[in-house]
Amino acid sequence: MGPSGSGKSTLMHILAGLDRPTSGTVTLDGIELGTLDDKALTLLRREKVGFIFQTFNLLPILDARENILLPLSIAGRSVDQAWFDQLIDAVGIGDRLHHRPAQLSGGQQQRVAVARALVSRPAVVFADEPTGNLDSAASGEVLELLRRAVDDLGQTVVMVTHDAHAAAHANRLIVLADGRIVRDGAALDTDGILDLMKSLS
Amino acid sequence: MWAVVVRGFFSRKLRAVLTGIAVALGVALMSGTYILTDTINSSFAALFTAGEQNRSVVIVPHQGLGTNAAVQTAPISEATLQKVRTVPGVAQADGEVLSTVALFDARGTRLNKLAPNLVSSVLPTRFENFSPVLGSLPTTPTAVAIDQATAQRYGLKVGQRLRVAGSSVSATYRIAGIVKYVSSASFGGAGIALLIPAQAQRIADEPGAWDELIVAAVPSVSAKTLQARIRAVLPATLDVRTAAEQAATQTSNLKSDLSFLRTFLLVFAYVALFVGAFIIFNTFSITVAQRTREFGLLRTLGATRGQVVRSVVAEGAMLGLGGSAVGLLAGIGLAPALDQLFKAFGANLPDSGTVLEFRTVWVSLLAGTAVTVLAGLPPALRASRVTPIAAMREGVPLERKPRSVRRRRTVLVVVLALLLLRVVLAAGSGAGIATILIVVAIGVSIRVPQVRARIKAGFSALVVLVARALARPLAWRGITGRLAGDNTVRHPGRTAVTAAALMIGVALVSFVSIFAAGLKASINKDINSSFAGNLVVLDPNAAGNVGIPATIPTAIRRLPGIKQVTEVAFTEGKVLAGADTAALGTQPITAIEPNGFSQVYRLQWDRGSNATLDSLGSTGTVLNKAYVSGTNLAVGKTLTVQTPSGQVIRLIVRGIASDKAGLLGSMAISLSLARSAFSQRSDGIDLISYEPGVPNSQIQPAVNRILEAGFPQAESQTAKQYEASQAAKVNTLLTLIYVLLALSVIISLFGIVNTLVLSIFERRRELGMLRAIGTSRRQVRQMIRYESIITALIGGVLGIFFGIVIALILTAATLSGSGFVFSIPVGTLIILFVLSGVAGLIAAAWPARRAARVNILEALATQ
Repeated sequence: MGPSGSGKSTLMHILAGLDRPTSGTVTLDGIELGTLDDKALTLLRREKVGFIFQTFNLLPILDARENILLPLSIAGRSVDQAWFDQLIDAVGIGDRLHHRPAQLSGGQQQRVAVARALVSRPAVVFADEPTGNLDSAASGEVLELLRRAVDDLGQTVVMVTHDAHAAAHANRLIVLADGRIVRDGAALDTDGILDLMKSLS
Repeated sequence: MWAVVVRGFFSRKLRAVLTGIAVALGVALMSGTYILTDTINSSFAALFTAGEQNRSVVIVPHQGLGTNAAVQTAPISEATLQKVRTVPGVAQADGEVLSTVALFDARGTRLNKLAPNLVSSVLPTRFENFSPVLGSLPTTPTAVAIDQATAQRYGLKVGQRLRVAGSSVSATYRIAGIVKYVSSASFGGAGIALLIPAQAQRIADEPGAWDELIVAAVPSVSAKTLQARIRAVLPATLDVRTAAEQAATQTSNLKSDLSFLRTFLLVFAYVALFVGAFIIFNTFSITVAQRTREFGLLRTLGATRGQVVRSVVAEGAMLGLGGSAVGLLAGIGLAPALDQLFKAFGANLPDSGTVLEFRTVWVSLLAGTAVTVLAGLPPALRASRVTPIAAMREGVPLERKPRSVRRRRTVLVVVLALLLLRVVLAAGSGAGIATILIVVAIGVSIRVPQVRARIKAGFSALVVLVARALARPLAWRGITGRLAGDNTVRHPGRTAVTAAALMIGVALVSFVSIFAAGLKASINKDINSSFAGNLVVLDPNAAGNVGIPATIPTAIRRLPGIKQVTEVAFTEGKVLAGADTAALGTQPITAIEPNGFSQVYRLQWDRGSNATLDSLGSTGTVLNKAYVSGTNLAVGKTLTVQTPSGQVIRLIVRGIASDKAGLLGSMAISLSLARSAFSQRSDGIDLISYEPGVPNSQIQPAVNRILEAGFPQAESQTAKQYEASQAAKVNTLLTLIYVLLALSVIISLFGIVNTLVLSIFERRRELGMLRAIGTSRRQVRQMIRYESIITALIGGVLGIFFGIVIALILTAATLSGSGFVFSIPVGTLIILFVLSGVAGLIAAAWPARRAARVNILEALATQ
């Protein structure tokens, strides 16, 4: 985490292979990204990376189920029905599968987005301010969901946030300021993070 | 991925419909053209086949110059008929007259002015294809039968009088019957007057001779065998065909005659499709820009560039196929409307049933779909350049990549595909389609970035300039005018393409009107500088090879005050040898009276003088300078020429002259030679001059009385009247072209509607804000209307500008030195400009209401 303009998003874009670093290397699931061309990066995202956005970014023309399955249909892969059922169960939107995004609340939309990120069993899920557009109750649900993805499904999640409460859900906390890492260590609780941020500014 | 394409397509219904209409209209004109011409062709084929059913062999004069030549051939003598009757195996043989005439009802109204009218002779029952619907076939020298279609059109009844004017005389008959041809109300769209043989021969000026011999074989002899036997006894100047061959020949002749009509109409269909391509391109461009986040998301989720391109292209293909299918169906309805359009302009063509050939289906679907896909390709490629990051941030500019080898290969593939398409379409006579596709391809593949950027920037700058100029007066009308002006230049490229669609239509209309104005001015100037006489006698509705009777001059010369009447006849000849290849082939020939021509008509002599005409005789010719230029022809050379009747003669070049008013064909010969070797019996025009000091008012009425009494098809015109009648002809054609170009303009209106609707959708927040701070609905409507008017006027101004430029370039390139007068019809162009604005107003009506209905809170909430 880090204050606005600290380079959180840029770092995430570089880590996810969306942007290229001016120096240094990125290794994702054992693959060195610097050597890959656009096509290879696209395939890498397809296979190994999941995304969760602040603004949900669901396609309004598709219903919840189709949105969740979109990464698989782009890759032309078949659906693992058991895995899909397990996911739906986990995110708790079983009764909302045939609703369009416009018919869902913000929290429900983001849970659909989480399911979409997990459906291809990626090596890493990148979550960019996943609670930025949600009220506290919906935030809590989504963060709980991500936590369970790590604990129960063994999913690696990298989350970018400037919300101390969200950051407190992580195992490892990296703090950026003005483009540099100023802290890298075990997670803290909400109060600890708030104190840390105060001390940095 | 497919779900995204299909859902996306249907979620943007309005856009799809508006764009689909743009495709459908062009395709409708295309399929309508094919359906109409196929229907006409098959109607004629059916008619010709039915007409030959009771015959075995027919004999017609050999037309050495092809059946489309506007020439007269010598008729078949009675002796030939007698000879045919003696051929073993002939059960029955008879002659038929079939010659061009003019028909007049009892009030003197000329019938079927723009269609051919024929006189034919009644045949023995065995051969007769005409049967009475009312009354009977003529049996007396004073009786005539008229075809049912003409009778219905002009309300002719049995017992009324009908005047028939032929190659030398005219006569009035009483209608004995109304007839149909086999099962058709008309003789293939031509008016027909049926007379007893002697009367038909008299009107056709072929006493004791026939235009066609009809033979029936005895049952034991086949048509082929009989054909061979008759062939053996007849000279090569006659063609002997089996009835089946004759029907096939007539059908194929007609097809080639009508191919002009098809090409003429298809040109407008291509123009409409081309305009449609602009609209598709624009709509896809706007939509791609609006869907940046969506493409970014797909890319983030692992979609390749290829997948993004294919998704947009697939959408284009669906749209194109849907639009083309609708267009194809609409074409079925449009074909009769086109037929009515031609009827309104006086051309009657038979149309029984609707012929939808498979070729029509696939050419229409292919052309519509290909145009849509190609026009959607550049936006699709742009969509693929959306970076994944665009999904996360607003307003990320599209990635600019240097053109890679791969991209160039893509272009190459597109070009090759087009060439292949060109070959495939050639089978469907789709040279034009291919051409337009290639034009689109050039648009797609102007791949030299600097050139393209410069063209784009230049055109956008031009649009901004014009928009600013047009918006200035509107800005005085308050803030809505200012905003409208600013909105049009907000996306100059978008406005440019929207305006360009209208621009094409306007440019073509202005080009045509400028060209027509030039043509009229040239006619005036040329007549004034070339015609030295006082009066011209001609048939203003002359059809086929019959001009005016050669007996007119004798009748007019008797009038006091007439100094001279000189005859001019038009024929054709095939140059076989004596010149470069470029000068060989069938050439128009003008026959003149050597001793009087130069006194009423001025030629500009290059080699020789007026005295040269006296040496024409039966072996001399004077060549038109336009024909000579670029060849090795010179005075003293000898040309070998085949005449329409098959004779081969030698002509020595005596002089070379140019002619401004276009009376001279490729060459001039003496009238006496035309009468003998060319079997040209009638005249084209007569040129008349008066004794000095005799006023026109004293002579023209007298001339008219003579013409009215004996030669009703002919009319006298002073130079001024001739100019006016020529201008009227140009105007008729002009109106027809305007009507057909209107379709392209209508299509471009859909483009304006589409762009407005899409940009209103984009600007909902802004419109909501404007409404929130107190802009009235009325003001919002006004703003959108102004915006539309400015866009349309840009199209109008640029269209007029490019119309003038095209006209200048084309006349300079093809007509320089021909004396073509360049003249700009200022009034017409001003009207065109105003109409463009009106078109913009019409296009804005619905989008403006939509914009005014925007819900303030919702609009502000959307992001």
